[in-house]
Amino acid sequence: MNTLTTIDELGFAPALQQEMVEDTTSDHALLEATRTGDQDAFAELVSRYRNQITSYIYRMTNDYDGAVDLAQETFVRVYRAADRYQRSYAFSTYIYRIATNLAISELRKRKRRKLVSLTGFFQPTDGGEPKELNPPDGRPLQDSELVDTERRNAVQRAISTLPEKYRAPLILRDVDGRSYDEIARILETSEGTVKSRISRARGFLREKMRAYL
Amino acid sequence: MRKNNCEIIRRELDELMLDETSSPAAVEHLRECAACREFHQKQTKLRQIVGGLGTVAAPPDFDFRLRARLANEASSATFHLTSTYWSFARRGFAVAAVLIVFAIGIALVRNVMNRPSEIAVKEQPAVKPPTPTPVETQKPAVNPQDFSAAVPENSPQKIKKERSAQMTAKVRRPAVAVDFSSQRAEVINGSVAASTVFPIDASLQSLKFSLDDGRGNARTISVPTITFGSQRVLQGGNQFAPKGVW
Repeated sequence: MNTLTTIDELGFAPALQQEMVEDTTSDHALLEATRTGDQDAFAELVSRYRNQITSYIYRMTNDYDGAVDLAQETFVRVYRAADRYQRSYAFSTYIYRIATNLAISELRKRKRRKLVSLTGFFQPTDGGEPKELNPPDGRPLQDSELVDTERRNAVQRAISTLPEKYRAPLILRDVDGRSYDEIARILETSEGTVKSRISRARGFLREKMRAYL
Repeated sequence: MRKNNCEIIRRELDELMLDETSSPAAVEHLRECAACREFHQKQTKLRQIVGGLGTVAAPPDFDFRLRARLANEASSATFHLTSTYWSFARRGFAVAAVLIVFAIGIALVRNVMNRPSEIAVKEQPAVKPPTPTPVETQKPAVNPQDFSAAVPENSPQKIKKERSAQMTAKVRRPAVAVDFSSQRAEVINGSVAASTVFPIDASLQSLKFSLDDGRGNARTISVPTITFGSQRVLQGGNQFAPKGVW
């Protein structure tokens, strides 16, 4: 009786290898395939980045529905500009740059439209620190999950009050865990500027989140 | 020096990822400096909270909506291309129409401009332009019959016919001056014109001239009787009165 010496001899090695190849197909290759009309390649790109991009835009805008729309717009732009895409930097940098520009553009639009949020009614007119609408909840907290939820909401609200130039690098660094180099390339600025802005953003947040620290 | 060192250590710690290990110098500093230790603890907690926000998942129908959006974009792009094509085509047709109208206009104007010159070229040999000495040059051209209107023996019907014929024939001819000075005046003898000559009272009949302009147009100039008061007074009187008596 012959003994199996390698795992390849089990018979499903080709399938495993193909799966690994598919998984490790680079973003560049997928976009290249998209350029030639391969819809499945584009679907793969979307499945890789849809959650990241939606989440990033949501952290930036603090509006889930708007974030989903902008995430879709991001993918539409990627699809439309597939012919013009240059492989000089990572695809993630490219798609995050598009998402950042869309999010910042949306924030500026909102500012122009002067869309007043519920929290906006409670902002002081004397130029002081804006206060969030956060009515005290007198009920006792049930468990630590509720505490975490409350803390996350507070952080999200605090982030949404940051100036946009501090908000994007903070989210990219502390939420998405990107490197300074990549953040600098996404925001098209220098690494020193990114570090400085992140440090200032954390300072702002520390002040706002003093009660939770 | 110590404060400067704290800033350097805090910056170093701030730039590290949460799971990254800090340098031995930073660890040593944190062990000694309570302020930096507290700062580092708060900073780490804040970053943990922020990092704990996690990733928000996209809605389940994200792909479906995206496909629908792309399909919609493609159809609208096709429509946009078609509408753009037709708008360009419409403009092209309009420009072509304007050019055609312009070309036709130019052709018409050129045609109209050329016509008089052709007529002039055709008529030039027929009509001799008046020269500085028209009297000499016009003489041979003048048909003696042309002056028949001025001749008294011709009947008025014939004159009219000739005039109308001349008018139709010489409608566009330029005016030609005819000099009769070289022609001998017709002499009316008493015997010849006995029947036609009738006595007139020269003192009462006005003097009339009939002139022909060469184109059959007769002009009659009537000169009124010139009377002198003294002559009237003396009409029936002594014409041989002594000098100085009226």
